Amino acid sequence: MSELFSAFLGSAFVNDIVIMAKPALFNIYFALASLPLGFPIAVGLALMKNSSSKILSGIARIYIYAFRGSPLFIQFFMFYSLLLAFNLSHWKPLGIDHIVMHPLFIGPLVLVLNTSAYVAEIFYGALRAVPHTELEAAKAMGMSRIQSFRSVVWPNMIRLAWPAYTNEMIFLFHATALVYFTLPVINEQKDLMNKAGELFERDYNVFLHFSVAGLYFLVISLFIFFLAGRVQKRLNRHLMPDVQEALTLKPNYLR
Amino acid sequence: MLETISLWLASTFSEDVAMWFDYFTNGKHLTWYASVRFTLIAAIAGAALAVLFGLIGASARRSVFPPFRWLGWGYITIVRGVPDVLIILFFPLAFEQAIEWIMAQRACTATELASGSWPPCADAQWYLSTTEYLVMACVSLGLVYGAFAANVVHGAMEAVPKAQLEAAKAYGFTRRQIFWRFHIRQMWIYALPGLSNAWMLLLKATSFLSLLQIADIVLWAERLGAPNFFARAGMVHPDWRWRYYFVLFLFYILMTILSEKFFAYLESRASRGMRLNTAPASS
Amino acid sequence: MTKIHLSAALAAALFSTTAIAADVRIATEGAYAPWNFMDDSGKVAGFEIELGNELCKRAGVECEWVVNEWDSIIPNLVAGNYDVIMAGMSVTDERMETISFGDQYYPADPSSFVASASADIDMSNPTGLKIGAQGATIQAAYLEANLAEGNDILSYESPDQSVADLAAGNIDILLADTSFLEPVVNGSGGALVFVGDKVAIGGGVAAGFRQGEDELVAKMNEALESVRADGTLSKLLIEFFEKDPWAEQ
Repeated sequence: MSELFSAFLGSAFVNDIVIMAKPALFNIYFALASLPLGFPIAVGLALMKNSSSKILSGIARIYIYAFRGSPLFIQFFMFYSLLLAFNLSHWKPLGIDHIVMHPLFIGPLVLVLNTSAYVAEIFYGALRAVPHTELEAAKAMGMSRIQSFRSVVWPNMIRLAWPAYTNEMIFLFHATALVYFTLPVINEQKDLMNKAGELFERDYNVFLHFSVAGLYFLVISLFIFFLAGRVQKRLNRHLMPDVQEALTLKPNYLR
Repeated sequence: MLETISLWLASTFSEDVAMWFDYFTNGKHLTWYASVRFTLIAAIAGAALAVLFGLIGASARRSVFPPFRWLGWGYITIVRGVPDVLIILFFPLAFEQAIEWIMAQRACTATELASGSWPPCADAQWYLSTTEYLVMACVSLGLVYGAFAANVVHGAMEAVPKAQLEAAKAYGFTRRQIFWRFHIRQMWIYALPGLSNAWMLLLKATSFLSLLQIADIVLWAERLGAPNFFARAGMVHPDWRWRYYFVLFLFYILMTILSEKFFAYLESRASRGMRLNTAPASS
Repeated sequence: MTKIHLSAALAAALFSTTAIAADVRIATEGAYAPWNFMDDSGKVAGFEIELGNELCKRAGVECEWVVNEWDSIIPNLVAGNYDVIMAGMSVTDERMETISFGDQYYPADPSSFVASASADIDMSNPTGLKIGAQGATIQAAYLEANLAEGNDILSYESPDQSVADLAAGNIDILLADTSFLEPVVNGSGGALVFVGDKVAIGGGVAAGFRQGEDELVAKMNEALESVRADGTLSKLLIEFFEKDPWAEQ
């Protein structure tokens, strides 16, 4: 038994898992750096789209449509070459070119631009679904617009949007796989896809290397799902148990 | 034809206009425009396969035979759990090696098989050209978005009112008739919004074709926009890539607009004669 | 009727990509002027394309060109998607482990560093620099081994990208084959200059084959010998590189 176990530990599979642990951190970094920035931008965009001002809602509409309507792959290529075009004229003189042109900066930048459009659409849908009766009740109680936003609109929006937002977090994590297809690799800063490709080019064992990379994505996706489920429970804790919708392991397929 | 227009432009407007016209209609640009066929073929064939895999996946999930249910669930969960680009890269490579392995069992000698090199012998070599890659890209897209479609179809099958099926039974229709003429027929109305969403994702995933050595619009945009310092290779120019990528950006937005119009038309057609209390749930 | 037309058009569009099966398929990158590039007509052109076509003619084989990205050019040769690589590829011991090479058609070409003319770079002791090279090349391996300490090494998918980043100042210096960089420096109008000493890495340039394809290698070597003997090789070299490096040796 222990022999079997040590054979397993010494196997190519375990070896790959060890090799890919560091690259996985890059994917995690890209997702973690984009999520907290994408969230407030998305809320702003959703409020803009929902606003009565034609100009504000028009801008938000166009932004959301453009970023949801085009591939992230193209957005990466486009923004990298666009930022590059301003390198000599702007970033260099300002002395910020080392930061601006770094994949660890451009990666999250493009991911934020992209994910905020998707999340904004989710929040916008949730905003429209906030129960009117609750808003009227807040008005009847004499709450100001800011007060009613804080105590009625916001909590409802987050609660209603949460399942779709969970889904979007997983999509975002998967989207980090695209970063190094388009950006230069600096030193050993490689992500899962990069590493899997590199290992594949050495021994052509596509089944091993791509499966291990896939396993990392799968496990981390499940972990995101688990964490989001805990948050969901908290968000719904005031509701009657029979109204609470548990976030079951039923992956959503809409984006 | 192009030359005549160029001459006319030079005489009517200026040499500059004619020069740019010549540039945008040179063979390299014409190849770029024509390469959109790969994107469109992959999108349409991929979508057709996705619907097929979706129906198979949904049937497996609804099967009374547990192993089929587990297979259906496993397929849907694994595909959803990993990035689409990983499967699109993995499937063609894996499929090629699987085919070569089967070929090798017949064609190669035992010593060659044991040698550990890949492929073991020359007779077990499968040539992949753009056509094979394109077919495999379509299958990959079908596999990935088939899982999405399976989930949508599964949900839509559940959404069809039971009363409709019971009424059909009361009228004496057979089980098979009920399945095809009522259940599947009505399922589409509930599935269309979700399928439309999956189509949009698939459409955007067609931008990965260049990763499979297909000279598609993305590859040509990169080649055309790249700085050129060598006069024999065409106009000498600095880095123009973002302009070319911006064209692709607009192209995909345009395709999205057209797709939305098409699905709106389909939805209005599919819901003819149906009185739905609520609009089908959308994303 | 329209349906039939549509499907026929689709089929035609699909199968127009498959040429008549050729005897030998040669892969190239098509982004490495003057070795191999896409000309204005959208077809592959360059020194290796003209040489390759001449070799095929003399060897009496039908050849077809395949464009493949650099980083997967060896795996796809081994996987059998084509039979030969002619893509400015230097002979190295590491590559010899997976593929075999024919006779060299270009002698060992030392690599050069290029920098922006306005930048002041101390090449005697390069530190704190962003140094670029194309990934999976002998230059990338050299940088990894010799200059990784104290510098950032950026690897690019294609040579075009590395040149674009150099021209835009995103990397301080770029290391690549001198034969590739010469037209770049000459065409840059003084914006880019050679810096530092040339470094000799790798062997000469030769066609790559799958291991064990000795018959094809022998055939192509024989053709190369004949091209060399009657001066065609020298003529092609002068046409594309403005010099014959064999004569200079």
